[in-house]
Amino acid sequence: MRVAVIAGSISGGFRVARKIESLPGVDVFVVACNVGKRRPLLRWSREILSALKSLGWVALASKTYRYAREARLVILHHPLDEATSIDCLRSLQCDIGLHAANVIYREPVISAFRLGILNAHIGILPKYRGRSVAEWSVLQGDPTGVTVFFIDPGIDTGDCLVLREFVPSRGWRSVQALKNMLFRCDARLYRKALEALMSAECSFESNDTAKGRRYYVMSRLLTRAVNQILATTLIAFG
Amino acid sequence: MDLETVLSRPVQLDRCEGILRGALLTRRAELRKSWRQIVSTECLGALGALAKEIESFLSGQDTFRDWRFAGTFRWMNCGASFTDNLRAIALAHNLEHRPSDAGRDRLCLAKFNKLSRIERMELLYDRYRCPLNIGLSSESDVAEELLRQLMVPDRAKLEAGTEFDAEMVLLKLNLVGLRAMITRDLRYLDALNYFYELPRRSLMRMRSHPRLLSFWLCIYAQLLCTPEW
Repeated sequence: MRVAVIAGSISGGFRVARKIESLPGVDVFVVACNVGKRRPLLRWSREILSALKSLGWVALASKTYRYAREARLVILHHPLDEATSIDCLRSLQCDIGLHAANVIYREPVISAFRLGILNAHIGILPKYRGRSVAEWSVLQGDPTGVTVFFIDPGIDTGDCLVLREFVPSRGWRSVQALKNMLFRCDARLYRKALEALMSAECSFESNDTAKGRRYYVMSRLLTRAVNQILATTLIAFG
Repeated sequence: MDLETVLSRPVQLDRCEGILRGALLTRRAELRKSWRQIVSTECLGALGALAKEIESFLSGQDTFRDWRFAGTFRWMNCGASFTDNLRAIALAHNLEHRPSDAGRDRLCLAKFNKLSRIERMELLYDRYRCPLNIGLSSESDVAEELLRQLMVPDRAKLEAGTEFDAEMVLLKLNLVGLRAMITRDLRYLDALNYFYELPRRSLMRMRSHPRLLSFWLCIYAQLLCTPEW
């Protein structure tokens, strides 16, 4: 199976790639997108900054060299949905893309992958679509977690749910800390999803949008209330 | 989900509700003091005889009317104009309405979004002449679309400080607020929270529509002191 990690930076791509490259039968590619059409100076400054924050220079340089030598590192200079970028993605002949960039995918990009693009959504589908879903779940007394599903051009409306994992919010004292933890689950859950997809008894659950709602960015007022709920839960349960 | 989680859920919900209620009442107290920063003296002057009533409603004690029963009808007809009906609801007055057995045809959202700005305004003013109709289950698609428009493109314009259609945004805020009153869907209330929290300079342009602006704040004030969410 050929898998491409679609990331906003090289180090971000390697963070996910590292978790899945040891899977037997999986060839991993890293596609670094130019999110937000950044100018080269800004783009590479951010790249260096994120390298300093994550893997460190030596590890990143050796990994970049290895991936580049094996033609498994693709750096896109144009926006993802431009024809040149789509041609580049098609030429990789990948089965699956893994979403790790802050972009919205249109149909031509999705169909550049044989099976589609997986997204690790930090909410429980089909109930919680859209934004700020972790905090909405806490506010409404529902369990938090991550759902891995094949995306379509809509907002969390892709029909095939590959897996869903409940991750308790208890123990996290703020919305930001909770969300950071849920976002960091992506690489591990992508690995699990790929294992499930490669197994003989793989089955999908349908993402029935009628069973859920689309949520939007939460106000500061309610975010403060959620922070308070998380803090009191921490005190109550230790 | 483990057994411990399932058993502790009602306790968690009670705690969530208590914290939410506290937060909303704190915002209501804040609104009581700060609404004059949004509705200027000129704006109040433009309201004429209505100004006193708006002033005492926003500065006074918590008042709200429970409109949840309105969600059970198929359609409602009102005699007065949209603005008069909206004023009655915003100020928690009684609203003369006659439930109708015949519902309205569903609004096709694709067609709605293709209409010109004036046509869309006219359609909304006409369809929701009895504004309570926005809370009916048959209107959920329209309400969801209005919420989406507010929270995605309109919000982006206001946050970026670019031009926006103040009358249309205010009309949507009023309708979305009414939907929250009838359905008690927190997402609709939170859209009002979000717009209230935008920098005051973003809301200045709304002063050109003093009635819609003050009705929005009155509806918001009612929602904040509504007990059951």
